[in-house]
Amino acid sequence: MRYLAPGSLKEALDILRREDDARCIAGGATLVAMMNADLVAVDVLVGLGRIAELSGITETDDEVRIGAMTRHAEIAASPVLTGALGVVRSAAGQIAHPAVRNMGTIGGSICHADPAADFPAALLAADATIEAASAEGTRQIPIGEFFEDYFETALREGEIVTAIRLPRGPAGARGHHVKFSRVDGDYATVSVSAVLVMAGATCSYARIALGSSGPVPIRVTAAEEALVGSPLDQAAIAEAARLLAEAADPVDDVRGTTEYRLMLIPRLLARALNTLKDGETASV
Amino acid sequence: MSPEGVTSPNPVGDAIGKSVPRLEAREKLTGQAVYTDDMTLPGMLHAAMLGAPYAHARIRSIDTSEAEALEGVRAVVTAEDLPKKKYVGVFLKDQMTFAGDKVRYISEPIAAVAADTLEIARKALQLIEVEYEELPAVFDPEEALEADAPILHENRDEYPCPYERPEHPNAVAYTQFKEGDIDNAWAECDVIVEGVYETPAQEHMYMEPCSTLVAVDANGKITIWSSMQSVFRVQTMIAEAFDMPMSKVRVIAPRIGGGFGGKCDLTNQPATVALALKSGRPVKMTLSREDDMMMMKSRHAGKIYCRTGARKDGTLVAREMRLFLDGGAYADESPEVSTVAAFFGRGPYRIPHVNVESWSVYTNKLRASAFRGFGNPQATFASERQIDEVAEKLGMDPIDLRIKNALQSGDKWLGGQTVEGGSLAECLEKARAASDWDKRRQNNGKEVRPGKRRGICVSGMSHISGMLSAGAAVRLHEDGTVTVNTGAVDIGEGADTVMAQICAGALGLSLDQVNYGNPDTDSSPYNFQTSASRVTYMVGKAVEQASERVREQMFRHAGEMLECAEDDLELRPGGVIGIRGVGDAAVPFAAIAGRSLYASGGPIMGTHNWLFEGERFDPKRALVRGFALDGIGVFTFGAHVVEVDVDMATGKTEVLEAWCAHDVGRALNPGAVDGQIHGAFAQGLGYGLYEELVWDDGRLVNPTMMDYKVPGPLDLPYKIHPILIENPSDGPFGAKGIGEIALVGTAPAICNAITAATGAAINRIPATPERVLRAILAAEGGS
Repeated sequence: MRYLAPGSLKEALDILRREDDARCIAGGATLVAMMNADLVAVDVLVGLGRIAELSGITETDDEVRIGAMTRHAEIAASPVLTGALGVVRSAAGQIAHPAVRNMGTIGGSICHADPAADFPAALLAADATIEAASAEGTRQIPIGEFFEDYFETALREGEIVTAIRLPRGPAGARGHHVKFSRVDGDYATVSVSAVLVMAGATCSYARIALGSSGPVPIRVTAAEEALVGSPLDQAAIAEAARLLAEAADPVDDVRGTTEYRLMLIPRLLARALNTLKDGETASV
Repeated sequence: MSPEGVTSPNPVGDAIGKSVPRLEAREKLTGQAVYTDDMTLPGMLHAAMLGAPYAHARIRSIDTSEAEALEGVRAVVTAEDLPKKKYVGVFLKDQMTFAGDKVRYISEPIAAVAADTLEIARKALQLIEVEYEELPAVFDPEEALEADAPILHENRDEYPCPYERPEHPNAVAYTQFKEGDIDNAWAECDVIVEGVYETPAQEHMYMEPCSTLVAVDANGKITIWSSMQSVFRVQTMIAEAFDMPMSKVRVIAPRIGGGFGGKCDLTNQPATVALALKSGRPVKMTLSREDDMMMMKSRHAGKIYCRTGARKDGTLVAREMRLFLDGGAYADESPEVSTVAAFFGRGPYRIPHVNVESWSVYTNKLRASAFRGFGNPQATFASERQIDEVAEKLGMDPIDLRIKNALQSGDKWLGGQTVEGGSLAECLEKARAASDWDKRRQNNGKEVRPGKRRGICVSGMSHISGMLSAGAAVRLHEDGTVTVNTGAVDIGEGADTVMAQICAGALGLSLDQVNYGNPDTDSSPYNFQTSASRVTYMVGKAVEQASERVREQMFRHAGEMLECAEDDLELRPGGVIGIRGVGDAAVPFAAIAGRSLYASGGPIMGTHNWLFEGERFDPKRALVRGFALDGIGVFTFGAHVVEVDVDMATGKTEVLEAWCAHDVGRALNPGAVDGQIHGAFAQGLGYGLYEELVWDDGRLVNPTMMDYKVPGPLDLPYKIHPILIENPSDGPFGAKGIGEIALVGTAPAICNAITAATGAAINRIPATPERVLRAILAAEGGS
């Protein structure tokens, strides 16, 4: 195996164009474990760690931009991720253990496209756009189109995710990520990412995404519509949960049976919405 | 128990009862500790094993020619390379190093390769061609006992077996204990509870996977360094498997990264020996975590049918228990585990009418074997859940009920052995007081935190810590310091430190003056194994008495040197013998040692070797049928009070606080005792809430640490309070074992607390959120 460590994005993209079977490594939190377990064989490993332009969180009036190589720990501690974007910050703080959060990156996480991971659903609830670069140029991929199947994304050969762009969201929005796992640090059995705006006692905006509930994170517009205009009472939450559960297709495995995961959806949705309704911001 | 007249001296100096740091703490914390995989020998090869892809299949042929032809491959071994029909095992000997005619579980080793690198060895494994004929398999012990079940060992009559084989060929062993008049006892009962309890196959998850390094010298003598729990067991069983004299097998213990029973007897040593013999080169084999989980051993999964009856006043009257323990494909320690499970079927209570039956059964799954608690956790889970149910039905405080029925000193254990140090009631009282039980119990079922219900409850528990034999040698050096040799392998629990403390305490030395020798079959006195909570009690007693022999010899010299009667002498801290009451009349050990070496008497060395000879079963009192071990004993007792919160939306249990009262006889190193209690509670919590090996059609579906979860730091309560009770035993300075007992009652204590919180009956562990949620919904639906 060869290990290459380009110093710039351009250099990295050149390597990807030149080398067959090159694979990028970001934080290595997952890829190294997979290589150790002989699950993937890599001929050329392209380390992205030296590319400064891929790292860090910046903001404009309209959006927050998270470099693909930004570590989970930095995202979890970012003072910039407030309001609706609290959902991303909250998710970041619940990923695995501190050691993983210090190494793992947001770009690596979404490119791996494990539906049990925490970022996919959180980014869906936050209406993120994925910025990807290749030798041909840069393109913007709406998050709803990015995840295609288990461990599959819309990313093309030779492309590198460079940033995750997060719109500020509506005024007064709050975001929160509820994760249920067997033990601390495990992948989610089910997770619920939610962004809400409350106008007095009435919900005026809702974005809900389920994680660990199918091959890709799940968003159901009708479920959000069931919440908007309601006081988030039991009936509205139950209806939204019913629609979400209908769209869900969770696996049956050691983290929980399909049936249990379906039982968790309304329960965790209620927990996420009640947390946000009561005015608690994501605090992880 | 210890033979008459072998009494403990009074410790001299401050080594006993002090929480001294581990002797090896510095080397472990700085990464200098040498484990087997850290070792390298000149010319050493790297090895890996090939596992079978079928749960039950006949092997038609094995072709290793392509693997052998791969560049860098130095040896390939299969059953063909080992002595034929040399079965190994503990009691029932049914296993060979590699599968011969049949494979009986997925990943059962069938071949191994030694090569220049591990990568080459692994690649070569894929080139081994095996032709199989798949056979019907059976995965459930009760199904395996049906008349038409697939038979795993058609040839079982070939196997050496010292006990009467059960009738069904899939039954490894059967044990029955029957006392009183069970058939007529139920009529005396005002309340009878009945239930079925299920416990999981738990993975040992020692930090260090199995690892072995073997070298063969020019005379054919084998030297083995391995991660193991006994140098002597490995020596005996390797000699047996390879049909060679034990004088040609040397086994040395490096540092060991945990065992918990999983490294009892043999692991990957025989395969590594076979490769070293065939290649003529040193060979090292360290299993990957996945191979270790799929090829080695687990705890026996259990299904337990249990019935308990009591009178209105809380007097326990009758207990019936039938245990089915899933032994997997080979016997390993199954016969002993199922007999120990039966031995604890009544629990530490006075119940006059008892019938306990226990089976260990072959199935086409991973071998089950020794694991901290050794059959006792399975029986105790059912027993303690049921005692709680009796308390609930009678409206009695669960601690009061247990105390009312607790065994006392002088009572008889199931089978008829006499209980000494019967302190269960004291343990329960101490745990009750420390936990502020009466006050906290008022919160049972209440929503103390939003969305969660609080519960506090209890479990009693018992175990043993004396069995088989051990020896020790203590040698006085020329400068007055000493070396202690024993065969006790410290698998991470801290025995080295405690053995050194015992010697230091017996001779009045500081720990700096005691060298603890590494176990090595070439030079160490015998010890059976680091298992059965027996090292402190058994080997510790040998060290104490060997030290006494050294003291006696030194006193003879000192009496002559100081011209006084030996009776007037005393040990003084720091390695000095003086005349009692005469401050300056003293000789240092060094002077005595010099005198012994150069002037009089010869080198000073003390030894002590002994066998634990417990009482036998009493045939007048109990009917004991099948395979049953007696002569074991030194009962230990404990009680855990556990407080939990249960999330009513998800069913997830959080253990908030635990009070663990244990009678340890005497805490030689209280910090180490606390550590054993903390560790056993954590492993018991994993057993109760998270850990379970899961098979799908014979294939283990969670053989990784990602899928099989042990509790991490944030899953454990910050407050686990050990409460040490010290009623001296006849062990070293009064001590007895604490290695296993704190695991035994942890899962039932947690499940009893879940029931106290939610009203839901939790009779299957691990009590996963899904199981608890379903039990809550079932309880709500039923009310």
